[in-house]
This record gives sequence, C-alpha cells and structure tokens, in this order.
Amino acid sequence: MITFEGLSENFRFLVLEVSGQLRATHEFMRAPTRELFDRITGRDDYIDNLKTIIENKCFSRIHTDNSLDRREIHRIRAIHTIAVNLERIADFCVNILGQMAHLSDPNRLRSDEYDPIFAEIEASLNRIIPALEKEDLPAALAICRSEYELDKLYEAVFHRTLAEMSDGRSVHDRITTIFIFRYLERIGDSLLNVGEALIFSVLGEKIKIKQFEALQKTLSTSGFGDSLSDIDFRSIWGTRSGCRIGRVERVRGARNSTGDAEGGGGPACDTGGNGNPAQTGPDGQPRPAPGGLGSIYKQGNKKKIIKERDNIARWSTLFPNLVPEIFGYHEDDDSAALLVEFLQGCTLDEIVLTGDGEILQNAMFVLLQTLHEIWEKTAAPGPVPTDYMRQMRSRMEAVLQVHPGLRRDGVDLCGAGALSTEQLMDRCEAIEKTLPAPFTVFIHGDFNVNNLVYDHTRQAVRFIDLYRSRDCDNVQDISVFLVSNYRLPVFEPALRQRIRWVMREFLLFARGVAAARGDATFEARLALALARSLYTSTRFELNHHFAKDMYLRSHYLMERMVAHEGPWETFRLPAEVLDCGCNAIIREETPCALAS
Amino acid sequence: MSSEEKFVFESMQDCESIRAFLEALTEGVGSKHLVLSSGGERIELFPQGLLQVEVKARRKGGSSKVSLKLEWKDAPRVETTDRTLSVSTN
Repeated sequence: MITFEGLSENFRFLVLEVSGQLRATHEFMRAPTRELFDRITGRDDYIDNLKTIIENKCFSRIHTDNSLDRREIHRIRAIHTIAVNLERIADFCVNILGQMAHLSDPNRLRSDEYDPIFAEIEASLNRIIPALEKEDLPAALAICRSEYELDKLYEAVFHRTLAEMSDGRSVHDRITTIFIFRYLERIGDSLLNVGEALIFSVLGEKIKIKQFEALQKTLSTSGFGDSLSDIDFRSIWGTRSGCRIGRVERVRGARNSTGDAEGGGGPACDTGGNGNPAQTGPDGQPRPAPGGLGSIYKQGNKKKIIKERDNIARWSTLFPNLVPEIFGYHEDDDSAALLVEFLQGCTLDEIVLTGDGEILQNAMFVLLQTLHEIWEKTAAPGPVPTDYMRQMRSRMEAVLQVHPGLRRDGVDLCGAGALSTEQLMDRCEAIEKTLPAPFTVFIHGDFNVNNLVYDHTRQAVRFIDLYRSRDCDNVQDISVFLVSNYRLPVFEPALRQRIRWVMREFLLFARGVAAARGDATFEARLALALARSLYTSTRFELNHHFAKDMYLRSHYLMERMVAHEGPWETFRLPAEVLDCGCNAIIREETPCALAS
Repeated sequence: MSSEEKFVFESMQDCESIRAFLEALTEGVGSKHLVLSSGGERIELFPQGLLQVEVKARRKGGSSKVSLKLEWKDAPRVETTDRTLSVSTN
C-alpha cells in the first residue's frame, strides 16, 4: 500500500475504530449498559478527529505533491471518500444508542434479526483494507453488494414490525425498532459508497455498481473472457448525450498502444497509419473485440442505446464499413449498454485543427464522396415536413439557462422595427410549413465534425454516435456539420481560414447536390436550419462573446427569412453568416491555401 | 436627482438591412424627437441646441469599427406643481 506520511496508518486506525464501534453497538443492543454507552459515545469524537486528520492529509497531499501519478491520486481520493463514509457509519452507531433509550424493553429487538445484519456489516468492514491494498475488485464488489443484503434484511424487519403494529399495542417501541434497523440499513448505503470508492481506486473511474455490472455483462456477451482486473476501462468523453462513454481494452498487450489518447482526449489520432487488424466477422455475429484497439463502451438511457444499436445495424446493412461494429449489448430495467468497435483514426475536428493540409484535403474529399454515395443510395421522394423551428424552440430554455440574455424583445427604433426572438420563430415556423423537403436521405442525425472519424491509412470516413439517425431532410445534417465547424473555439487567423475552407467546400458540395436534385427551396431551408443550429449551439459555448455572435447570426438569418419577398426559389442563403469576419466563403472560388 | 434611463439594442445586419435603422435615426434627429423602445422599456430623447458629434473609426487585426456619438445637454426641466398659492383679501 502506498504510504502517505502516516495516512495509511490513520486510515487503518479509522477502519479498526469503526469496526470496534460496530461490535460495541452490537453488544449494546444485546445488553445495554451505561458504561458501554459512555465508551461508544466517547470514541465517536476520536473517530471524528481521525476522519478530519485523514481528510486534511488527503487534500494537502493532492494539493502540494506534484509528483503523484494518476493512480496515487485515485487512491488518495478513494481513501478520503471511504473515511467520510466510515465516520458516518460510526455516527449511525451512536444514533442507534440514542434510539435504544426510547425502548421500554430492549429485549423487544430480536437478535435473530440484527445478528445477521451486524455480521454482514462487519464482513464488509473487514474487506476494506485488503481490497484497497491488493486492488481487489471482487472484494470491492462484495462490499457494494452488502448493501443489497442489508436492504433485504431491513425490509423483512420493517414488514414484520409493521404487521405487528396492527394490533395497536407497543406502537412506541415498534416505531423505535424500525428507526434502529433503519440506521443499520443506512450503514449499508455508506458501505455502497465505500465499495464504489474502492472500484474507483482500482479502475480510476467513478462508476456506479449498476454501471459496473452492466459493463461486466456486456463484456461477457461480447467475448471478453478475461477477469475484470485485466480490463482497462477509462472514460474518454465522460458523459455525452446522457450516456456514459468509456474505452475498454485489455491491459496486457494493449495498454500502451494508444499513447497519450489514454489521458482522456479522444481516439488516438493515428493518421500515420498502423493497419487496423482484420475485424470483419464472416458471419456478421458479435465476436471478441481485438485486443489491440479495444472498444468503446456506452451505457445510459435505454431508449437511446437501443436506438443507437438499431441504427448501427441499419447503417451496417447499407454501408458495411461506415459505422463501428457492435461487439456486445446488454440491457436491464431502465438502462442499456453497448460495446462497439473502437475506430482507428482521428475525429475530423482534430484533422481540421491539427492535421497536415494535404490530409485535411483528403479527408474532405473522402467525406464528400461518402456523403454523395449515402445520399444517392438512400434518397427517397418527399415532400416531408421539417421542424427546425420546433427544435430551436425546444432548446431555448437550455440556452437561456447558460446565457440568460440570449433572447430579445421586439424593438422600435424611431419607427424601424425588429421582431422579438419569439416573434421571429413564430414567423419562421409559419414559413417552414410551406417549405417541405422535396426528398429525404438516411441522415447521421448529429453530424457534428467530432462524430466523424477519418482513417487516413484506409482513406475512409466513418460515423459514430448514431442514435439520432433517421430518414430526414439532408439539410439537417448539412447545417449541423457547418455550425459544428463554425463553433470550433479557435480564433487564430490561420486556423479560422482552414475552418472557413472546410465550410466553403461543404457548402459548395451541398449546393451542387441540391441543384442536381432540383431542390429549389434548399437555400431557405438551410437558412432556417442554420438559424436553429447557431442558436442551440450557444448552450455549449461558455465564451459569452462567441455565444452572442452565434445568437446574433441566428437572428439575422431569421430576419432575412421574414423579410424575403417573392418565391422561395429566389431566396439565397447569406452565406457570410458562417464566416468569421470576412466574406471569403462565397467569394473565394479558388481553394484557399491550407496552412499545415 | 433623476434616475438613469438606458436603451440597448444589439443585432447583426448587412449593409442593406442596416440602412432602415440608420434612416429612422436620421429622421428622428431631423424631427428632434427620438423614440426607442424594447419590451416594456421606452426612452424618448429630444436633441436640441448644439450637439456634440464624435465619429470614430478603427481597423485592427482584420476587424473594423465605426462609431457615431451624439451628445447634448437637455433643456432644464421646468418644475411645475399643481399646488397654487392664492392670496386673497377680505
């Protein structure tokens, strides 16, 4: 065990003290005496102090020692969480003593009911030190599971006591009995926190026991036969779209294969190209993930995960290599988990911001070709209504939560007027009803630049995060892609120039497709969709100046729509709305130089 | 002491659409009466006498700015009262 100037010793003492308090409380319930009461309450102050000492040492160590590695920091954080919960357990013991004073007859408490509870708690307390020292995951899980056991035991006492109360006798004592057992049940809640802290110490991940079990089951259905301690699970994006996302790989042989990306940045950006090991299953059945690359584990809202699974399946049928392969799936009552292939390459935003100029040009070329193929193959005739203004309205509250000022009232400026945000949305919504999309394609649904992975070695673009895929107006994907580039928070002129180039290429391509398909209202629909994307994106942008810029651009687009006279076929998107201070997007007909 | 009245409106416009705002303001200055309102707020201004005019322009780091500021002293308010002093003799 790592020693931190006595921290380990303090921690050991705390565990021993709390175990002692528990045994003494057990003894007190059997045979309460004044002497025992004084001893337990007296030790409680000592335990409080010990917890404070541990807390101080944990914080000061993390704060002052720059040489600590991630593992040591995880360990210290776990010790702190466990100490807080142990002190709480000791408090519950004292609370039980307090309740005992209200019992007219201590023998009313049945030892056959509380003995197994104390045994369960004591067994868990005894597991803490070894679990921490040996990084013993099964022991940590056993501590977590003791909460289930304690809940069950408490429930039995609760129902029995409640049933007995119906005779109307000794109600006072019976309520007190429930209170006492309730404190024992709450000790179980603290033990669960202790167990989860131990899991954190081993995995370096805050993971709830339910999530852990889902991961375990998903891994076993996907062919990971290793013991869990051989699996390296780490969060990549933390939570996203309400899901928890992490990367899973075998520790042996794979641990160092991803370099710095393990530190939490995202997929390893390997445009230099180690070949991806052969991953195609001949029968299309889920099969073990390749050890070298690992997998992405996604756990969260059941509806979303199921949608993602089904969408991946549909994409795979249409375009076999476009989306990650599914290795495993697991669901329980309210959540589900998916284990999917970890894709080699870089997300497109990484290429835009850091890739070589030639690689960026290649990536864009491949992306546009891929899109062209998808749109050609999945196009279905419309007309179908769109709902950009509804999407905008539904996210308005979330925007205003982050930036309360990003809406406006109607304005009268010496007779020249400007409509309020709501009025603009109302007017644009009415316009939108008259502008159905003439055809649909199977869209990505969240066509954000960081949901595209480019594999330079294979010259392939692949899609991730697919739970919103559906048959829809392609303008939805077009606007999300454009704005996801626009809102990349970089302002250095050379990088902005690259972003402008990407947006320009994409817009030219999209306009070309619209023209070829005779999509006469494309420009107007795109204006509405961009207004929506610009406005709703502000909720992710804490740079208020940049957020306000997007909000103003969104309103400008809506104003242009409202002010338009004549048929919608003549509306032209004011494309400078996506530019960052210059009108290069449309005016530059020659590709701008791409800085490497 | 009178409380401060303020009006702020920010928007993004193109050169064509901004003309409507500028023309409305120009007319307001010509008629010596500017009314600006937003939501429940309303401010009325009465430019008169000599106006201090400041025009500033700047171009820096790829962004340009021109600002026009008009400033004047309002005519002193004449405090009126409903109460009248009446003197009578019997």
